[in-house]
Parts: sequence; structure tokens; C-alpha cells
Amino acid sequence: MNSNDQTDRAEQREIDASAKWPVLVFFASAIFWLILGGAMQLAATIQLHTPTFLADCVWFTHGRLAPAAQNALVYGWGFNAAFGFGLWLMARLSATTLRHGGWLFVAAKFWNVGVFLGIGGILTGYSTSFELLEMPRYVTLLLLVAYALIGVWGVTTFSIRNTENVYVSQWYLFGAAFWFPWVYTIAQVMLFRAPARGVLQPIINAWYLESLYGLWFIPMALAAIYYFLPKILGTPIRNYYIAPLAFWWLVISTALAGGSRLIGSPVPVWIPTMGIVASMMLVLPLFIIGLNFWGTLSGRLGAAGASLTLRFMILAIAGFALSAGLGLFLSLRSVSAILQFTLLTDLRDWLTFYACFSVAMFGAAYFLLPRLTGKEWRSTALIKAHFSASLLGVILLTVAMAWGGSQQGHLLNNPAVAFADITRQMVGWHTAHSVGLGLLLVGHLAFLINFVWIACPINSRSTPLAQIKNPPALALATKEGHA
Amino acid sequence: MKNGLTLFLGVFATLAISWAVLLLAAHRQLGSLPQFKDPVDEVLHPQPLSGIAEQGRLVYQDLGCATCHTQQVRREDFGGDIKRHWGERPGYARDYLRDKVVLFGQSRLGPDLRNVGARIPEAEYYYKLLYAPESKMAGQPIAHGMPAHKFLFEERPLNGNQPSYKAIKLPSEFAPAGNVEVVPTPRAEALVAFLLNLKDTYDYPVERSLNAAATTTGGH
Repeated sequence: MNSNDQTDRAEQREIDASAKWPVLVFFASAIFWLILGGAMQLAATIQLHTPTFLADCVWFTHGRLAPAAQNALVYGWGFNAAFGFGLWLMARLSATTLRHGGWLFVAAKFWNVGVFLGIGGILTGYSTSFELLEMPRYVTLLLLVAYALIGVWGVTTFSIRNTENVYVSQWYLFGAAFWFPWVYTIAQVMLFRAPARGVLQPIINAWYLESLYGLWFIPMALAAIYYFLPKILGTPIRNYYIAPLAFWWLVISTALAGGSRLIGSPVPVWIPTMGIVASMMLVLPLFIIGLNFWGTLSGRLGAAGASLTLRFMILAIAGFALSAGLGLFLSLRSVSAILQFTLLTDLRDWLTFYACFSVAMFGAAYFLLPRLTGKEWRSTALIKAHFSASLLGVILLTVAMAWGGSQQGHLLNNPAVAFADITRQMVGWHTAHSVGLGLLLVGHLAFLINFVWIACPINSRSTPLAQIKNPPALALATKEGHA
Repeated sequence: MKNGLTLFLGVFATLAISWAVLLLAAHRQLGSLPQFKDPVDEVLHPQPLSGIAEQGRLVYQDLGCATCHTQQVRREDFGGDIKRHWGERPGYARDYLRDKVVLFGQSRLGPDLRNVGARIPEAEYYYKLLYAPESKMAGQPIAHGMPAHKFLFEERPLNGNQPSYKAIKLPSEFAPAGNVEVVPTPRAEALVAFLLNLKDTYDYPVERSLNAAATTTGGH
């Protein structure tokens, strides 16, 4: 180890120490919502094959429970995890400490109070019924104020960076930090403050959904993958020079692709058409990103045995590929005529959110939390259990929803089949869906146990920092980015 | 990309373009779409919802019916919507001027409801559906897989009194035990009024030609 390495290491420790408490708070809230939202989602799915389950309590009727679960997972788990991970990675890549972290506690508190009130609002009957904008109007401002604080921290950390170059992960983090508040504000204003008339409302909703998944969750996942692959493998991203092209092409196409959710709907036909064209344009950036990831990974897959973070990243790449492929497939008109409004439509968003984004966040958490706390994970077996549960759950859910969805689509389009018969035939698939969600929940519990062990200051035996294997520095360090 | 400002401008432009070409353009095209005045009886279509139906729309929203039910009828040659009699004609953008909140829905775990009021015009059907979805009407089970919404009803012991004229008639296996009547709450009445109002039956002469499929022979 030369002296340069040692200064780097000292600097990283300083950055990690500055980020420790804010990131821990964000991840603790994230895991709370992950467990709660996962349990609610499981209950809502059980209701699909056992309609009497919790049916007599108005708070937990399926129409309220299902959106509440989705909001808890997206705004509770997804955003908190993205905040924690994003701020840490931004500080690391910008080679600067996260300053005045106390304000981030305030922001975290506001955000989580907002989500809590929002979920409560949905369950008690104040839902707006617009997908992922169901939370009642009174929490909007709370969420935006909290977000403003967090976003400003991310961007400020970037603008006081001590590095000459800006790494690809930073572009994605920087972009996401701006896109989310803009699309959220625009959607809130155009749907609730000064509501647009008629079919403009579903158009705005579709645009918001596409942007939320494509310009917030996907960039977060890509930032993680672009960072951890070279970090763990000790090799630069292959074909890095075309990554900027993929970035711009991906985000511009995604921003225009919202109409692909409205194929066949009573809206002017140019809207879905533009969505379909934009979706098809995604082929090129997906190909480049694939080239980046595959080129970096190929021949080094053996390393996946040694690094659990890497395994999660590989699963996230698979999830990304699946969700992108399914998105392209569903935006074909002939396919959409049959498969729209089925379980496959849900599967597409679920793959983006869970199989790609959430899995990437799990991997990131397993890497960064030991470095922040200076302790090792207590139980490798639990991490392995979490990974196996995620892998099996993702496979089971994908198969059940894809197969079940295509069956559902074909039955729906056959007028000879009575509607009640479709529902009857779907029971088996809904049951498989519940089993898959149960499996994922087991993985989440394993994550929770490990997290409590590592995060609780009194509980865990401390291990000297030296025992954490120092991963090879990003081989691009001198050329592209730092850390 | 080293320059933060370039990055910011690109990020800003990406979203600004998307907003302008999708939302702003759609707003320019549809934002001032008027109701249509029937040339014969001079009535404006779509007609606004009645007060109680408008309240029912709020119940529809708060119970999250849109989680499993769509409200859109696709073209004849696009899926089986028309063949399933979910509507006599495809939906037009103009139909939705009636609704203060437009909920297309994303999932068809349940059937489409856009024209349910025209398909099944009996209030009794909806009360039974909401209280006991598995009960039968005219020998046919009403629904399968839908959760009951018993909380929209009041179960009142009769104590020898005459039942309310609003009480719903249930087959004995679905009725509550004892001498108890089941009466819909005002929320249930509003919801059913809304469902009965869900119908796009007026066929706009202007829309028929606009929305017809392009003929293959005509040169465009």
C-alpha cells in the first residue's frame, strides 16, 4: 500500500464518518417502510384469491390497502433508500464530506411524517385515486419541503466537489435530484391545484408514472450499478466513452415515453404513438448500457461468489433488462391490445421498482453500512438468505405474473368466457403471487435483523476498521471521478 | 462532461421538452374542447352528473375502485371491449368532460365500468353486489372474486317493526342471522347513483367521423 492509497483511505473514512448518521436514519426509515409496505402488499394480494380476508374493515378494503401498500413501498422504502444511498455516493464521488448533516435529520423527519400521514389518508378514505399520487393533498407541501432540503444537499455536495472529472453515476444522481421535484410539482399542480379537464388528467398521470420510474428509480439503480461494478471488480467500465450518449438518449426517450401507457385509450392518437416511438428509441441506450455492464462483467463472474454486493448488482442488471424488455414488448400495439390492463402491466412497473431498483439498493446497503459504522455484518448467512429469497421471489413473481397475465389477457379478449370464469382461473396465479411476496418478506426480515445488529450503537461488537477488506480503488480514479 | 452547468442545462431541457411536447401540446389540443350541442333538442352533451352521483364519485375515489376497474372502452378492432358489450361504441375524449376526476384505471381484475349503468340499470343489483358479491340474481352469481363492502350498509335489528322500504332483499344464506334488516347508508346510495350514471350512450355525430378507422383505400 503506497502513501497515496493511504491518504485516499483516510479521506474516504472522513467522508463516511460525515455521512454516517444521516444515511443510517434514512436506511432505518426505509427498512421500516419496506417491512410494513411488504406486509400490506402481501395482505392486499391475499385478498385477490381470498376476497373475504380483511374485507369487513373499511380501512383495509382492497381498493384502499393495495394503493396504500404501493405508496408505502415507493415513497417510504424507495425514496428513503434512494436518499441515503444517493447522498453517500454523491459525497464519495465528489470527494467531499457531507456537511451540516443535522439538517438532513429534519428533512428525514418531515419526509417520513408526510408519508405516514399520506398512507393514513389513503386508508381512512382521502385517496385521490390517481396512481402513485393517491396521497391526499395535505401532505404534498410537507413532502416537497422535505425533498427540497435533501435535494439541495445532494446538489450542493456535487457543486463543492474536489474532483476534476464527473463520473457517470454522478450524472444520474444529479439528474434524478432535479427531475423528481419538477415532475411531482407539475403533476400536483395540473391535477389538484388547477385541475386540467377531461382526459388530460390520465395523460398527466401517465407522464408522472413514467417519469417517476424512468427518471428517478432507474437512474438511482444505474448510478449504483455503474459505481459498484468497477469498484468491486477492480476494473474500469468497458466502453466508458459511449456512456454519455446512453445517458442523454435514455433520459430524453424516457421523458417522452409516457404516452405508451395510454395505448388504445380515448386520447388523441398522437400521444400513444409518440410514446411508442420514444419507447422504441430506448433500444439504443439499453444496448450501450448492456455493453458497458456486460463488457465489465464478462470473464469476471467468478468474483460474484466472493462479493454479495456484486450478486445483488447482477440481479439488479437482470431486473433492469427484464423490465426494459417488457416495456418495449408492451408498447407494441398488437401486444397491448391483448395484454394491457393485465398482471403483465403491473409486472412491468414492479420489475423496475423491485427487481432493478430495490435489489440494487440492497446490494448498496450491504456495501456501505459496514463502512459507515465501522462494524462487520454479524451474519453472512442472513445476507445469503436475503439474496436467495430475493432471487427466488423475483423469479416466482415474474413467472406467475407473466404467465398469469398473458392467460388473463387472452381470456379477457375472448367474449365467450364469462368474466367470473376469468377471475376463477386467475386464483392460482394470485396464490403464487402471494407466495412470492411472502418469500420476499422473509428476505426483508433477514435484512432487518442484520441492520439492527449493525446500526444499533450498544448492541453490536465493534470490529476494527482494518478488517474490512479495502476494495480496489475505482480504476478510473485518475481519469474519471474519485473514490 | 465536466461542467456542472452544462449538465444542469441538459437536465432542465430534457424535462422542459417532455413537458412542452406532451402535456402542453395535449392541453392546447384538448384544453378547450367544448360540450356538443345536439342540433335537434339543443341539449349539451355530455350532460353533467347529478348532485348525488357527484358525491358517489367521491365514494368511488375513496374506496379505490379504480384499483381493479377501468373506465375506458377501446376501439372495436383493439381488444375485446366492444365484443364483451362494455360499450356500444368506443369512448371519445369528449365523453370525459362530464367527469371532474377522470380515472381511466390500469387494471382489469374486475370488468370495465364505463357503461355499467347502461348495461345493468337496476339499483338492486348493485346493492347486492356490494353487500354479498357471491349471491345470485336471476339464477346467476353476481360476481366472483370481488370483496364484499358490508361497511357500506347498516344492519338493524327489526324488533318486530316493519322493515325499511330501503332494506335490501337477500337470499337467506347471505342475510345476517336473526331478525335483522340490511339498509344501505347514504354513501352506498351515492355510489350506486354514480354507477347508474356511468353510461356514454349519446353518439356524437361529430366524433363518429373523427374517430372512424382510416380507410385503406384513401390516400393520405
